[in-house]
Amino acid sequence: MKNMTNRTLKLGFVPLTDSAPLITALKRGYFAELGLDVELCPQNSWSTLRDKLQSGMLDAAQLLAPMPLASTLGLDGAKVAMKVPLVLSQNGNAITLSKHLVDEVLSLNKLSDLPFPMPAKLLQASVDKRKKEGKEKLRLASVFPYSCHQYQINDWLRQANLLEHVDVITLPPSAMAESLVAGMIDGFCVGGPWNAKSVREESGVTVLTSYHIWKDKTEKVLAVTELFFDQNPELLIRLVTALIKACEWLEPQINRFEAARWLQQSALSDEPLDTIAPSLLGSCITQATKSPQLVPNYNRFMSSIEESINRPLDIGQKWILTKMREANQISISVKSIELDKLAVFENSIFDEAMKRIKEAQL
Amino acid sequence: MAIKISKNTHSDKVLSILLIDDNPERADALLKALQHSRYHINHIVSSGVSLLKQVNDLKPDMVVIDIESPDRDILDSLHTLSSFNPKPIVMFAEQEDSDTITQSVKSGVSAYVCGNADPSRVRAILDAALARFEDYQSVKQELVSTKNKLEAKQLIDQAKRLLITTKKMSEEEAFHSLRKMAMDTGQKMEDVSKTIISLLNTIK
Repeated sequence: MKNMTNRTLKLGFVPLTDSAPLITALKRGYFAELGLDVELCPQNSWSTLRDKLQSGMLDAAQLLAPMPLASTLGLDGAKVAMKVPLVLSQNGNAITLSKHLVDEVLSLNKLSDLPFPMPAKLLQASVDKRKKEGKEKLRLASVFPYSCHQYQINDWLRQANLLEHVDVITLPPSAMAESLVAGMIDGFCVGGPWNAKSVREESGVTVLTSYHIWKDKTEKVLAVTELFFDQNPELLIRLVTALIKACEWLEPQINRFEAARWLQQSALSDEPLDTIAPSLLGSCITQATKSPQLVPNYNRFMSSIEESINRPLDIGQKWILTKMREANQISISVKSIELDKLAVFENSIFDEAMKRIKEAQL
Repeated sequence: MAIKISKNTHSDKVLSILLIDDNPERADALLKALQHSRYHINHIVSSGVSLLKQVNDLKPDMVVIDIESPDRDILDSLHTLSSFNPKPIVMFAEQEDSDTITQSVKSGVSAYVCGNADPSRVRAILDAALARFEDYQSVKQELVSTKNKLEAKQLIDQAKRLLITTKKMSEEEAFHSLRKMAMDTGQKMEDVSKTIISLLNTIK
């Protein structure tokens, strides 16, 4: 197909296992097939990714699902209206606790083995012990205040009424493993390959995945500013088409190892393949001495069974807004009716892209 | 971790700056540029969780950080912690990027961005960032107080309406009885209104 524009489209992301659709679209040549010249721009922090997208230094970005909503509502950084034309993945995160804490949980609960998924109530004894001894609270880390990770920690702890008794801080994904070893945190919720990294280093034990907390919910999305959305519909349809094709390619497990290799060769070149591949293959490694757990939907990019999980729907947007409310991130003075009017998740581009994909298959 | 302290010889008020930058040459340039100024610099490299401790211990008046540092998310999240007072944050970006980003953050968020440290400009940039931050904080506080006043008025109106419908009072009587209750109990009118609203709604 002829070149769509005479300029390079800059697509920003934070390198993680679930960046696979972006890398796949590039390696499989889907961007080029659609006449797009896409440059993938890895970033070191979610806030800088957000700022660069808001200011137009990046044309599009793979964001944590709550981020475009926070930007549109002006909760964080500048207030810039955004659109989500595509959902890129579901699940993909996990909670890993320090080896030290897991040993304590086992001994305080008189257990020889940790159940998987681990219920948060097993932390109760450790919480009580710290309180009794006048020690600092348990401290977990998430990757960003406006992240599913944050809300997943909240929901997991809430099941056992422990939310008030545990501190939750923010750390960049790449700093998690190191901070766990240094004893700065007792655990974290992060995406791949960072859980597997701590397990391989034998400093952490993965106790459950985000699939066990929220079964099959939106995790990463493609986001653009509303301005870009309004001005570049054709460009966006093609970008979304290329990424849908990548998600489609990633659906069968037979292709997943190739994706792991590509990630290792590009965005995650500092990390070994044995930390990147497992989650993509539906394998949750939990600790060095144990057999991995089967979690088929650990990284989900598309589903041939369900109606497309990639279609950005109002119901998905509502779920996240509810979690933001529960985390007190949206002021009570913002009325529900105003939130109902928000149309950040917008399916028109996705529908047009799917129509074209189907027509091309005829 | 390298901590360097710049000398400050004269100033009305010493302002402490936490500088997070992995580029040693740029950090040095900044330290030099701010010698003999009211700014007192503590330099650290990107450090992950220990940044929290640094902020806690040093209680800086301002943070200067490289836009490409992974520590940015930690800093951003500090604003969601109630124990952390808002601070002006100045970001260093490459020269060609800085104009674009500066425009987007003009609306008065935490960040102010400038290009590579140009010694002659750096002091002026920090002064401007500080002034702008203070302006923004006062505007924000004004907004909050206006909003509170509006919410109070709404509460009082709602309580009055309830008294009028359920107790068959006139508007004036309703207002006077609210004011009397407020004076008798030493509470604000909006607090009394809140109690009345919840009481009358339960009885109904």
